Amino acid sequence: MTEKTFDMRETIADNRLLGLWRMMTGYRALYLAAVVCIGLATVARSGIYFLLAYFVDDVLLAQSATVSVALVAAGFIVLAVLQGGFTFLGGRWAAKTSESIVRRLRDYLYDHVQRLSFTYHDKMQTGELLQRSTSDVDTLRRFYAEQTIGFGRITLMFAVNFTALLLLDVRLAFLSIIVIPIVIIISLFFFKKMYSVFEAFQQQEAVLSNTLQENLTGVRVVKAFARQAYESDKFEGDNIEKYRRGIKLTYMHAAYWPATDILCSLQMLFGFTVGALMTINGTISIGMYLAYMGLVVQIIWPIRGLGRLIAEMSTGFVAYHRIMEIMRVDREPLDEGSFAPVRPIQGALAFENVTFAYEGEEPVLHNISFAVESGQTVAFMGSTGSGKTSLMNLLPRFYNFQEGRILLDGKPLTDYPRGYLRQHIGIVQQEPFLFSRSIRDNITYGVDRHVTDDEVEAAAREAAVHDVIMSFPKGYDTMVGERGVTLSGGQKQRVTVARMLLKQPQILIFDDATSSVDTETEAVMRKAILEQNASRTTLVIAHRIQSVMSADQIFVLDKGRIVQRGTHRELVVEEGIYRNVYDLQARIEDELQRDLADAAVAAGKANGRNVNGQPDGSELSTGKLSLA
Amino acid sequence: MSELYYEEEEFTTQHTGKTLRRTLKQGTKHWPLMVGFLIFISAVSFVDSYFTYLSKQIIDEGILANNTDALMRIIVQYGIFILIQAGLVLGFIYCAGKLGQLVQYDLRKRMFDKLQSLSLSYFDRTPVGWLMSRVTSDSQRVGELVSWGFLDMTWAVTNIGVAIVFMLFINWQLALIIIAIIPILVIVAVKFKQRILVEFRKVRKINSKITASFNENITGVRVVKALRREEKNLEEFQDETTAMYNAGFKAAWLSALFLPVVQIISAFGVAMVVLVGGYQYTIGGMTIGGIQAFISYITFMLWPIQQLAMVYASMQQAVASAERIFSLIDEEPEIVDADGVAQPASMRGDIVFDNMSFYYNADEPIIKNMNLTVKEGETVALVGPTGAGKSTIVNLVARFYEPKSGSIQIAGRDYREWTLHGLQSRIGMVLQTPHLFSGTVMDNLRYGRLDATDEEIVAAAKMAGADEFISNLEKKYETEVGEGGGLLSVGQKQLISIARAILAQPDILILDEATSSVDTLTEALIQRGMEYLMAGRTSFVIAHRLSTIKRADRIIVIEAGEITENGTHAELIRARGHYYDLYTRQFREEMAQGYDTFASAELQPMLA
Repeated sequence: MTEKTFDMRETIADNRLLGLWRMMTGYRALYLAAVVCIGLATVARSGIYFLLAYFVDDVLLAQSATVSVALVAAGFIVLAVLQGGFTFLGGRWAAKTSESIVRRLRDYLYDHVQRLSFTYHDKMQTGELLQRSTSDVDTLRRFYAEQTIGFGRITLMFAVNFTALLLLDVRLAFLSIIVIPIVIIISLFFFKKMYSVFEAFQQQEAVLSNTLQENLTGVRVVKAFARQAYESDKFEGDNIEKYRRGIKLTYMHAAYWPATDILCSLQMLFGFTVGALMTINGTISIGMYLAYMGLVVQIIWPIRGLGRLIAEMSTGFVAYHRIMEIMRVDREPLDEGSFAPVRPIQGALAFENVTFAYEGEEPVLHNISFAVESGQTVAFMGSTGSGKTSLMNLLPRFYNFQEGRILLDGKPLTDYPRGYLRQHIGIVQQEPFLFSRSIRDNITYGVDRHVTDDEVEAAAREAAVHDVIMSFPKGYDTMVGERGVTLSGGQKQRVTVARMLLKQPQILIFDDATSSVDTETEAVMRKAILEQNASRTTLVIAHRIQSVMSADQIFVLDKGRIVQRGTHRELVVEEGIYRNVYDLQARIEDELQRDLADAAVAAGKANGRNVNGQPDGSELSTGKLSLA
Repeated sequence: MSELYYEEEEFTTQHTGKTLRRTLKQGTKHWPLMVGFLIFISAVSFVDSYFTYLSKQIIDEGILANNTDALMRIIVQYGIFILIQAGLVLGFIYCAGKLGQLVQYDLRKRMFDKLQSLSLSYFDRTPVGWLMSRVTSDSQRVGELVSWGFLDMTWAVTNIGVAIVFMLFINWQLALIIIAIIPILVIVAVKFKQRILVEFRKVRKINSKITASFNENITGVRVVKALRREEKNLEEFQDETTAMYNAGFKAAWLSALFLPVVQIISAFGVAMVVLVGGYQYTIGGMTIGGIQAFISYITFMLWPIQQLAMVYASMQQAVASAERIFSLIDEEPEIVDADGVAQPASMRGDIVFDNMSFYYNADEPIIKNMNLTVKEGETVALVGPTGAGKSTIVNLVARFYEPKSGSIQIAGRDYREWTLHGLQSRIGMVLQTPHLFSGTVMDNLRYGRLDATDEEIVAAAKMAGADEFISNLEKKYETEVGEGGGLLSVGQKQLISIARAILAQPDILILDEATSSVDTLTEALIQRGMEYLMAGRTSFVIAHRLSTIKRADRIIVIEAGEITENGTHAELIRARGHYYDLYTRQFREEMAQGYDTFASAELQPMLA
């Protein structure tokens, strides 16, 4: 099919008309056929009036036999069938064209959006992108389905019927269209003006919705302050304004339609009069006059809608422009890269003086250098904004760094195709994101191969989420976001961990992924991940000393630089952020111990038990002693 | 995306007639407008048909009679009617347009006012999106049905009626034949439109699915890319666009078939006119102008019939809309003042929960036989696992819900003996997700007390510790906060909502997770304001942060709707019960989460 091979980028054009024309590539013949059909339908319709003329002049007035009358009657039916058939075919093909064009555009946009870089998505607002991909696309659909066809119809109606009038009588034909330029001008002017009034009306609608929405979402605040009357007043203000703008729209209509009614009707009457006088003079026959009466209606009345059509068409142009702003952005090339890996990734990483800045901003990473051996677990600590996540995002090449280089298994990272890297690097992101499909589909979301139910369950078990899932009535088939089913942040996180376990990446990144999971669960998950593949390289961003202290290497980041590096044993005795955090957490722990001890003094008097007899309280303190 | 699907939900109604009558009643309130457009539109129909008759006169009495004087007389008459017709058109557009806007305005107002009076439980079970569509799109649909829909219908019916009368007047035998065709036309047209409507509903449904897919692909784009799932996503999406293509195409070509079908049926009418009229002409019972008029009447009849079918189709939707609107308007608030309740001067005093229970479904109790006395001015912290019933208790205190059994007594009386407004205007609430309204900072603060002066507002902001950041805003107190306060950070919103509560000077204060979504640094800032706010007021605090809980006079542990422990921090630690467990667990979690913010706030001075 041609639609598969057509490159949508060709539709990007500075000239909107040209772009809209190119967007029709592959369907132009069909569209042309639709327009021809509409033209033929118009001809058939004009034919009806000529048949009427023939009927009156050559059958009735010629006093012919009744047989001929029956033939004429059949002729009317035949012409109606022709007209109907062509109208239908034209409509059907126009629909096929517009639906096809729009389907191709939708598919392309969907794919395009998911292939745009992180940099683009960071800047673009979701709502804006969504609106352009849906309602602007629908505006384009109407542009092709209704407006261009409508424009064609009006033009053809004018052309065909005016030709017919010319055939009747040249002078009469020209006398019948005197007001048309005036009506066109008025209608263009009116609908342009109308458009701005309508816009104002729509804006007020948005204001009203906003007031309403805020009232509904803030219902507790409204009730807590007992502000119902105040809210009603506020809404009343917006409501009455919408009413006023609606009335203004009404007034405009009430002025436009009667005014053009008078113009068009008087023009018709003028034509009728001239025609009647010509008939009396014998310039045209009575049958011709009857045909004229029918044809002239077909020319004059459709013109009134031309202004509306053009105003609506301009919205199509705006929509095209807005869509093109997305299409113009270059996609992130997934397969670009010279390196064709022959053996699986081992997972040895080396950063050499890497400096990175987001587009048009100050660098967030400065001269980062470190090396990770295959199979190691390394941890990154640092406050918000220290650059941890930015650092991780460089590995799957979500962003391009500016200076230095990163080596993966000894080869520059930039030589690896992005798609390849992403298949072998797994990230469990800070904010767990689940899709509104079943939990099973969410777990299998990242793998291409077929996955058995057993595998899914095993992954869920390892991620410590199996029991939670089984507690839902529909188990693994529960839809995420379904009413009555709520997954907590920690549970969502565990589902994403299960997803990652199934994917089995050679390099795994945990971006603060366990902060919403309690310590015990975290330990279970950590064990599962480690056991699955001991040769896997794991990078962890974490805040708890507990989470990082078993790592092979720990890096402390501050303002985009590595300020400390080493193992837990080394860092804990070194002056610096790591030890401060350690002390702080120890201090909190001490405070807790003291608090518990106070309580124990009282309780101990009663039952004589030592505070350290509490397993819960002593666990961490013993761990601390042995490590210090 | 659930809101999108709500829109598609169709009411299956058994009371269409009743609802329709009630819908029309919305218009009869403004009866002069309704009568106005009925008269105007009927007159328009008459004049339309009369024009056709005048055309016949032009042919028969002007041209065929070779009578120029008569011709001119008819032409002048025609011209006069053109002017009259324009006036009539102006009249009906004015009346119907105004009526439509008025009805919409009325419905919106009534729904909004009703919404203000409904109890919180209604909002718990009704999604915001559902209510939004009632007030916006449904009211519009009903407004349009009552005005334009009714107008179109009247026009269509009178048009067909008047045309029949004129036809009967010109030639009754032929007219009778034509009349036989009309019902066929109407039935075919209406059935056809119904069928098309079904298809369009399908299109709408698929369309919202596509929107949902787009939305998810954009919001989840980082995951999609990280998992390298682009191709599979596109494949799945293409299934949806294919379904959309099929449904859209079908709906469109069915619509394209509508007019031709109606036209072809009416062509049989034209054929009849030619046959019978032609025959009658030869035997001298019909004029050429008459035949022309008949053909005009029949071909023009297409439009009223199409109009009828359209109104009929949109009427089904509008009646469903009306039904939903009426269901909202008819909703009775669950919590209303009983007769003769007192307006309290103040809500100070002890708060007593007397064997109080609450549930939504009787077999799933949420609060079980709660007994508790909170002294005036006391600060009580409610702790317990998620879903234990803490928020329900404070909502009961605020009388957003009422006890199902037992009672809550405030200042010596069952609080149902006070007016709802009296109680709620004496309660201050600071919620987990602070809700601000669009408008300026000043507007939002003033929400606490509408008659507060600017000075009082600034003073309250100072006490809450909000003045500092407000003064750093570009336009200070006149800064727009954006939709839902979106231009401010959560911490800033929280400070404003505390200042707002300070301004309200409530007797009872409820803090529902008020500081859970702010960082430690901001919390330290807020704490001052909170302490000022709580001083001397009976306060209920739901909190996770231990620092907040520890500061309370008393701690109540709620588990599965029951009070399991009740005492001071020291007492409960000593008791080594639920609070003790919660406390030790909580402490470790806070320790872990705390680091990040400590690094920027408290840790830096330590390094120096």
